[in-house]
Amino acid sequence: MRVIQRVLGNRSEAAMAKRLHHLEHHGAVDVLRVASADIARRRLRATTQGGEEVALALPRDQILFDGAVLVLEDHHALIARVGAERWLRLVPASIPDALELGYHAGNLHWRVRFDGGAILVALEGPAEDYLVRLGALVTEGRVAHSVDAAEAG
Amino acid sequence: MSASALPSPALPETVTAARIGIGGPVGSGKTALIERLIPALQARGVDLAVVTNDLVTKEDAERLRRSGLIDPARVEAVEAGACPHTVIREDPTLNIAAGDDLEAKFPGLQLLIFESGGDNLASTFSLDLVDWWIFVIDVAGGDDIPRKRGPGVLRCDLLVINKVDLAPHVGVDLPGMLAEAARVRGAKPVAATNARSGEGVEAVADAICRAVLFAP
Repeated sequence: MRVIQRVLGNRSEAAMAKRLHHLEHHGAVDVLRVASADIARRRLRATTQGGEEVALALPRDQILFDGAVLVLEDHHALIARVGAERWLRLVPASIPDALELGYHAGNLHWRVRFDGGAILVALEGPAEDYLVRLGALVTEGRVAHSVDAAEAG
Repeated sequence: MSASALPSPALPETVTAARIGIGGPVGSGKTALIERLIPALQARGVDLAVVTNDLVTKEDAERLRRSGLIDPARVEAVEAGACPHTVIREDPTLNIAAGDDLEAKFPGLQLLIFESGGDNLASTFSLDLVDWWIFVIDVAGGDDIPRKRGPGVLRCDLLVINKVDLAPHVGVDLPGMLAEAARVRGAKPVAATNARSGEGVEAVADAICRAVLFAP
């Protein structure tokens, strides 16, 4: 099993891009798909799209990112592609509902961002697991919900 | 057959140590599990150290240091001072520093185990601190725990249900509890242990070695 112990660079860097472009023409660029929930892991074992089992053991000061070049050899390269983060969009119907929703999001330690009148919750599991925690806010229709999801390249 | 009964295949060499977390409610058996894991991992040739977390004492660290299982210098204690999950999730700086300290003191270290202070079912580890983590619950806590879908139960990489020997004494349907745990966790694994006798611990050691030490 190949053990990868550092990120070599970003595929968009000029020097990398030129070599990768050449390898792509020869079908020699493999892809490691990583779920967004796993992006912060320094250690991971996984199988690439090309079927090679690899192990990541990155130093603590490095993290994976979409486009990370993990292997760059004369006849082979491996690039990380990270799935887009999935966000649960929650829109409260009133200010009292918004206050209650904000309380729950904080109490449950959810990772959130804001978008106008909506609160977006980063999903690390099924959306249903999050919605059930909101109880009556959801079952009584006081918070509308939808999932923003898109798979990166 | 357990891996400890076989000659351990060499683990791939890495520059840094793997870091794993072991969390779970108060009294679920986290420290007892670590006391069993230490010899099981040592038998697999793993060079390891432990960081314990307690609320306002160093009780768990002292217990491990006195155990005779590990060089006392390889055990560091972090006093959380507040909610235990704060120092493993929101701000794991103290634990990261303790881990860095142990890695500096023991070159060649392969595995760092971070034991969380006892917490509730919402406790989770930051992936800035650990690469992979275990959540320990026990049958005496009730067979409805998996059904309550706490974040710790759902998100951990390995759920350990400990004290399986107590099931008949506390009226717990163990097969049902294991099935419920498997159902709520989807594809993520569940292990059953009795950390006092050692039952099931070899499988946990195997899972650690495979996940973060890249054992075959």
